[in-house]
Amino acid sequence: MSILFAVATGIMFGLGIFQLLRRDLVKAAMGFYTLFTAVNLFMLAAGAFDGEVPAYTDQLANGQPSDPVVQGLLLTAIVISLGSYCLILGLVNVSANRFESVDSHEVDQLKG
Amino acid sequence: MAGAENPWVLGPIIIPLFGAALCLLLSQNNRLQRIVALIAGLAACLASIVVLLANLEAGSVGVQIYRLGGWATPFGIVLVADKLAALFCVMGSIVVAAGLLYCLQCHDKCLEYPVFMPAFLCMGAGLSGSFYTGDIFTFFVFLELMVMSSVVMVAVADSSLGLEAAIKYVFISGMGSLLLLLGIAALYTTFGTLTMAQIAQAFSTGERPLLAVPAALMFIIAFLIKSAVVPFHFWQPDFHTTAPTPVHGVLSSVVVKVGIYGIIRNTSSYLVQEGDLIRTILIVLGLVGIFFGGLTALRTWNAKRMLAYSTLGQVGFILVAIGWGSQLAIVAAIIYIFNHAFIKSGLLMLTGVIASHNAKHSADLKDLAGSGKGLKFISVLYLVGGLALAGVPPFNGFMSKVALVRSGAGVESWIVLGLVVAGGLLTMIYMTRTWQWIFQQEPPEAEDTGHAPAHAPHKSDSPLAPALLIAACVLLGIFAGPLVTLSEDTAAQIASPEIYACSVLAQMVESGMSLPEGSYDCTGGMEISAAPTALPVLVMEVPGR
Repeated sequence: MSILFAVATGIMFGLGIFQLLRRDLVKAAMGFYTLFTAVNLFMLAAGAFDGEVPAYTDQLANGQPSDPVVQGLLLTAIVISLGSYCLILGLVNVSANRFESVDSHEVDQLKG
Repeated sequence: MAGAENPWVLGPIIIPLFGAALCLLLSQNNRLQRIVALIAGLAACLASIVVLLANLEAGSVGVQIYRLGGWATPFGIVLVADKLAALFCVMGSIVVAAGLLYCLQCHDKCLEYPVFMPAFLCMGAGLSGSFYTGDIFTFFVFLELMVMSSVVMVAVADSSLGLEAAIKYVFISGMGSLLLLLGIAALYTTFGTLTMAQIAQAFSTGERPLLAVPAALMFIIAFLIKSAVVPFHFWQPDFHTTAPTPVHGVLSSVVVKVGIYGIIRNTSSYLVQEGDLIRTILIVLGLVGIFFGGLTALRTWNAKRMLAYSTLGQVGFILVAIGWGSQLAIVAAIIYIFNHAFIKSGLLMLTGVIASHNAKHSADLKDLAGSGKGLKFISVLYLVGGLALAGVPPFNGFMSKVALVRSGAGVESWIVLGLVVAGGLLTMIYMTRTWQWIFQQEPPEAEDTGHAPAHAPHKSDSPLAPALLIAACVLLGIFAGPLVTLSEDTAAQIASPEIYACSVLAQMVESGMSLPEGSYDCTGGMEISAAPTALPVLVMEVPGR
């Protein structure tokens, strides 16, 4: 299982970085979200599969429970990454209306 | 020795959050919103001061702790206010309260946006939270709260460039958060805990599992991005310059210090063994920052942007002090951080006041030339702030500079010290240059507009908040004793990381849980191992006599 997660995390990191470096701001935002998901996946791999039974159930006698902290962290991290993604898309939307372009090379009035 | 349970620790976090909720409910009434925000800010400030006083009263190892939800330490989130965190939180909440006071009399249009004041309070809550938290994941959450609310405030700024700066910042800062999260995940995989004290315990055994050091380095890089240290600074001048004045005051003076707090916390409690390498890096980056920030500030034609670049330079001084790493140098760094927060926020708000005198609210030096000619009071304040930033005697900046130079002499790194002093002169040059431009020049004749609205009913911002901040600078300069003593105690506490770790974990030890072998022994009573050396700041010892 962890090999699968390692490969998946690696691929998502690659895709995310590639997307992030594009000139199109919407695609860059997508890359940002992909990167966050890759980190979330890494965190999931950190502890979710150590156990044999779910945490906080009556099956605890049957074996080692999986780590509930990781799941809690993941939920928070997903909410935060989704929130940041929404905020970025909102900003990009306003800037697309204002500059009539989502090309980052045309959003360049700040100088000095 | 257990840390003292103290529910006041919750205050600086929960009061602004509660105020933010209240402000959202009052979104119909902008005036009331601002007043509620100010009250919340002042209450948070009070709470943080109470925590600091409780810390002082409890003597050398008085660490104030609050366990959220009553969960025992390794299972729940713990808020820890040791002297470092308490001091930083007092600094942060005072500057945030000053920013809210400025908001009361600020005429920027963006302040009427219903979400602005709640976002300001959330930024304050995130700031206090990231200082107080004793849990790396909660640190990340508070950091994101702070970043996101500041992005909202800059994106709606009056300056149309704010949006672009906000996009730039949200991407770069997002990368920083990503690295931080990756580091947190790696540390959790390695040690199976998120509590800083337990991680410090695990690191103190001297063992280095595979992922531990890369994780800690990711932390450091994330902090360097957050505090805009030179190779990672590209977002900072744009983002800070376009921010509305009260927000700029807070961003440029205390929000950049969160990263520095993270660096101090990390190098002092986890990475004690890797310290030498990290310190060398910090000295190099700090020196580059001093000169880059100083020289670009010299050639910038915008008063707010100049101060933003100046922050790059000042952060450089702090990094050099942390890089020297002797106890005296840490004292210098803490004094510097504390004083710089007041000077820089005061100067920025003053610049905002001056800029609000022209109709465009522009801080461009060409627009500002001579605009302060009649404003004697503001002129004096700006000069005092500028001299304090440059480190001229009666003001608090002098104290920071003296402590810095003294600690540099203490570690005998003469070349770095020479460069630091030379860099300090740049501050003097760019501050006096700007002061002359704004206050000493003849105002340009209004030749192009014959019907110039010379006495249009234009309201300018009130200089009350910056006046209070600059007054604090003068007082901190004249009565520097308490701050220096406090910084010495703080540095002594930083020098013995077992105090932090054991205060948090004592309850766990008493309940019979075992600690990793070879780590700090938390069973006995604690003393500060090295007696804090008295700091003769004002008595410059001549070497070799």
